[in-house]
Amino acid sequence: MHLLPKFDYYEPRDIGEACKLLSQLKGSARIIAGGTDLLVNMKKGLLAPRSLVGIGKIPGISEIEPVNGGISIGAHLIIQKLVEFDLIRKKLSVLSRAASVLGSPLVRNRATIGGNIVNARPAADLPPPLIAMGARVRLKSRRQEREVPLDRFFRGPGETVIKPGEILTHIVIDALPPFTGGDYIKLMHRRSLEIAIVAVASRITLDGPDGVIRDGRIILSSVAPKAIRAVRAEKALIGERPSEGLFEHAGQIAATECTPIDDIRGGAGYRCSMVGVLTKRTLSGALREAKGQ
Amino acid sequence: MKKLITLIVNKRAFEVAVEPNRTLAQVLREDLGFLGTKVGCGIGDCGACTVVVDGRPVNSCLVLAVQVNGSEITTIEGVSEGAELHPVQEAFVEYGAIQCGFCTSGMILSAKTLLDRNSNPSEPEIRAALSGNLCRCTGYQKIVEAVHAAAGMMKK
Amino acid sequence: MKEYSVINTRVPRVDGRAKATGKARYADDLSMPDMLYGALLQSPVAHARIRKIDTSKAKKLPGVKDVVTAQEAGAVKFGVSPARYDETIFCIDKARYVGDEIAAVAAVDLETALEAAALIEVEYEELPVVLDPFEAIKEGAPVIHEDFPNNIGAEVHQEFGDVEEALKTCDLVRTDKFVNKKQDGAFLEPQACLAFYDPGRGLTLYSSTQAPHYVQRTLAMVLGLPIGKVRVAQPCVGGGFGPKASASTLELTTSLMAIRTGRPVKMAFTREQVFWHSRARHQFFHELTTGVKKDGTLVALKNTCYLDGGAYSSFGIATVYYAGSLLGAPYRLPNMKYDGYRIYTNKPANGAQRGHGGVAARAAWEQQLDIIAADLGMDPIEFRLKNIMQRGDITCNDFNMSSLGMKECLEAVRSGSGWDKKKGKLPRGKGIGVACGFFVSGAGFPIYRSETFHSTAVIKLSEDGGTVNLYTPAAEIGQGSDTVLTQIAAEALGVRYGDVKVSSGDTDFGVDLGAYSSRQTLMSGHAVKQAAEEARRQVLEVLSEQLNIPVEEMDIKDGLVLFKKEGVDFSALRTRYIKEHRGWTDPPSGKHFTFVEAARLAYLARGTIVGTGAYKPGELGGKYKGAAVGTSPAYGCSAQVVEVTVDMETGQVTVDKMTDAHDCGFAINRTNVEGQMQGSLSMGLGEALFEEVKFDGGGRVANPTLGEYRIPTCLDMPNVETIIIESNEPNGPFGAKEVGEGAIMPTIPAILNAVYDATGVRINELPVTSERVFDRLKEEKERRKEV
Repeated sequence: MHLLPKFDYYEPRDIGEACKLLSQLKGSARIIAGGTDLLVNMKKGLLAPRSLVGIGKIPGISEIEPVNGGISIGAHLIIQKLVEFDLIRKKLSVLSRAASVLGSPLVRNRATIGGNIVNARPAADLPPPLIAMGARVRLKSRRQEREVPLDRFFRGPGETVIKPGEILTHIVIDALPPFTGGDYIKLMHRRSLEIAIVAVASRITLDGPDGVIRDGRIILSSVAPKAIRAVRAEKALIGERPSEGLFEHAGQIAATECTPIDDIRGGAGYRCSMVGVLTKRTLSGALREAKGQ
Repeated sequence: MKKLITLIVNKRAFEVAVEPNRTLAQVLREDLGFLGTKVGCGIGDCGACTVVVDGRPVNSCLVLAVQVNGSEITTIEGVSEGAELHPVQEAFVEYGAIQCGFCTSGMILSAKTLLDRNSNPSEPEIRAALSGNLCRCTGYQKIVEAVHAAAGMMKK
Repeated sequence: MKEYSVINTRVPRVDGRAKATGKARYADDLSMPDMLYGALLQSPVAHARIRKIDTSKAKKLPGVKDVVTAQEAGAVKFGVSPARYDETIFCIDKARYVGDEIAAVAAVDLETALEAAALIEVEYEELPVVLDPFEAIKEGAPVIHEDFPNNIGAEVHQEFGDVEEALKTCDLVRTDKFVNKKQDGAFLEPQACLAFYDPGRGLTLYSSTQAPHYVQRTLAMVLGLPIGKVRVAQPCVGGGFGPKASASTLELTTSLMAIRTGRPVKMAFTREQVFWHSRARHQFFHELTTGVKKDGTLVALKNTCYLDGGAYSSFGIATVYYAGSLLGAPYRLPNMKYDGYRIYTNKPANGAQRGHGGVAARAAWEQQLDIIAADLGMDPIEFRLKNIMQRGDITCNDFNMSSLGMKECLEAVRSGSGWDKKKGKLPRGKGIGVACGFFVSGAGFPIYRSETFHSTAVIKLSEDGGTVNLYTPAAEIGQGSDTVLTQIAAEALGVRYGDVKVSSGDTDFGVDLGAYSSRQTLMSGHAVKQAAEEARRQVLEVLSEQLNIPVEEMDIKDGLVLFKKEGVDFSALRTRYIKEHRGWTDPPSGKHFTFVEAARLAYLARGTIVGTGAYKPGELGGKYKGAAVGTSPAYGCSAQVVEVTVDMETGQVTVDKMTDAHDCGFAINRTNVEGQMQGSLSMGLGEALFEEVKFDGGGRVANPTLGEYRIPTCLDMPNVETIIIESNEPNGPFGAKEVGEGAIMPTIPAILNAVYDATGVRINELPVTSERVFDRLKEEKERRKEV
């Protein structure tokens, strides 16, 4: 068995104490939430933090709450609850869908939404749908609290704008305009226990049930150092009447906007091609949802 | 430094002093003797170490024991008592869902948790619930059949 | 057919309850007072001369009780085939792959052992690394073993008939290449073992092995112990599939340190170490040329194969033979030529895995046969049926198909799958494919040259008469041999399933070559049957003496003695039995004399009743070099139809349905036979679609995890329509023969043929990832454009 390296363990009772601990421990501490990523990396010898700060006992960061028509999700919420909760399934089905293909049921019962975000893996499942729906993350430190749009949160693999001493406490999604729909498709080798070869999340907002596209977002995952928006493909959608042809065209543009690498899960060329296919398919799915079908 | 924690395993409370770097799987196996919990990979890829923590099956190799201080844990040893088998166990034996047995503890715990929540699961629901538990021997078919059969037995 | 009570049923496994309740104990679950924990130091480089090993820091670490290197372990060579013993416990002069064992530590706990192993300092002089077998055979390539300067560890050249002449007479000849990828056994239980030593009683090793007998011999030979002072026993074993079938450095080192320290030592692999140790399926590069007549008659096959062997031979000598000998059948093929080369590379050694040596060859050929059928305008099933072998046929390489339900299998999957309604009628993106295969039912010869029996068994009736103790050295690894052998004992003796108590997997019980080459149901089964019959005979003899009835006029069934004549008065014997058991609560009553009574009386007359059995195959065919690999007392066979959906935009293949028919001769346990079939198909599906051990440029395994080495999950494996065919094998106990490995043979080619049917493209390289299908579809599109 892989043994974990030695570390000190702290379990703060509230966010204030957690922030204080983090600033005292400086860079030597890591937060442990579900642990499904962190402990793997520690067992593989990739990380050896001197201290772990468990946030599982902190109140108020494990709930889903409706806020002003939108939704606030505590960072310590386990991912399986995104699959189970009616509120998410109805209002943010794209997030529910992405959550349902993350890892395995056993992982989803431990891993948290906050962990999936802050670890900043290029293939993480939840950031694409969250970015598509305009999510912001709330960061707390001893002295201040700030909100950052998720699409400006990631810097690169494992890197985010989070500052030492800051804790991601909530993910906030504002009320979505009417006639909005989303979809997420993850291309995988197997049907479970997988990291994406390529994944795409799309969102469409129409200006009416049979109207033109008012807003469109396409987020590409696993094809760049972080989840990226296919900006040019998005532009091609705006003001247009949705059609298979339009989505195909958007897919072709999106395929030129990614910068994948060859790795153990797939080749760069294949990934680009798949961005095209998945963009087209997710846009179709998003349209169906936007029309309430 | 060791921390004193309480684990309620199979309805019995255990106080144990553990190093923070010990996983729940290690503490269950090595400190408490629940050897039915198997470790197949140590990094959450196989599900052999599945135990139920506060009603949810998890990979016990990826949980620190200190994280589940005070939690209720069910291991395979707690699924049934005495000579009587739980319907899931009975069905696994009867339907040939067991070969080498190394995935069995985890598989049964995932299946039992499913049936506790959903007394009449469809085949896709059963397969989805077991999709974190790898089996190299059976091809899964007899496991799925056993879970169906167990659901039937539990209704009676 | 004869009426049976215990066999051909669906009795649950003998170990099912223990496994379902978590009470079953595997090697890593064992512990003993005062036990030490072992850890290995393995080479971080793929090819290096070892200049110096300094263990002084490790030895000084508090809690360390032993540190061993080649200096302590010695230089006795071992391996699988005596002709290619090329391993030592630890590297002596060179490390030959990443993971090659350098040293080991035993300490009071695992943390200390690991820490000490990391403190051992090794000076490596790195040598050029060769990972590609075709590079390895080039002039000037780095030499891995001095005795094999061209890196070809083994080669085989066989010809039956005259292939070149035969090809000239063919109307259609085609050549295709095919390559699979290096596999991993991916059994759920990583190898583990526990050894302890008593100067009087000798060494005991509990190990997660498939072959206690071979481990016992290797331990005795390498550690210099009398073989009678080495006992190897299995706890529950969490799967094996081949890689656990040979003795390993893990077992040898653990034993060595137990002897040296006088304390029990336990050592276990991590999952990563399982990948490093490997000994699983080779990578095979096949080139096949097949010739047929216009009417579809198969005429000749030329097969050339290069095997990437890895750094040591392991099972590879057998593998390189099997890659040739397991073609031909189950079709009538008069001319066959084979050239095989097994090449050393600086990678973990490859060995045996389910369908040993034949899986890639079968995939290559069955796909080629599909192409040929299409070229001839024949239905693939019709084409196969035209050439099918039947009971009594003998192959050109002298395999005697003493039973063969191949035709029945093909017809069963044809109707079971609805083939005639589907083939050629499915929309693009949907496909259906068929393939056949066969496999040995036990190797005809042991791995070392010997006249040994292949299986022995002992049945001892308990002195009270109530229990039948079966002692079999056969290896239960999850496949169900304990159950099947219990059933055979019960049936042959005439008692109920629950009356037999089986103990297995222990070299103290006798000789059994172990769980490999699909041998135990047939071979161990024979030995057990014989032992049971002998015990039965003794009981009946005593009864015969006491009742004055000839043995032939009595039978034992379901735990009761049956008399052919009516009105036999056994009341005096019953009274005697009841007197023996005064105060017991279960005196026999009823109109039948029970086996319990009879067995007790037999004991009173003769002492403990013991029956023994021993089996080895009779004379087998083949006098040519290499005939020992492939000849078997019987051959199992199977046919499969697979239906797939291929996503034409992403290339992703979904296996929707499988129909499998397997001829196991006679199903001792119907549930177990189905379990072997379904498990084989699952492993075949994994190899077809996902599985590949990858390496980086330095020879390190790039995906040593079950996350990146992908075996099927329950969402990937469909249900299988599972059809048992029973051809009644004359050389098998109760007509039984293999199912454990043969069932994997058709899976990969049936998937490949279905993918072709769905897409119009042929895939000649495994695994069939979505990317590979996508690339082939694109190529095909571009080719069409050019045309």
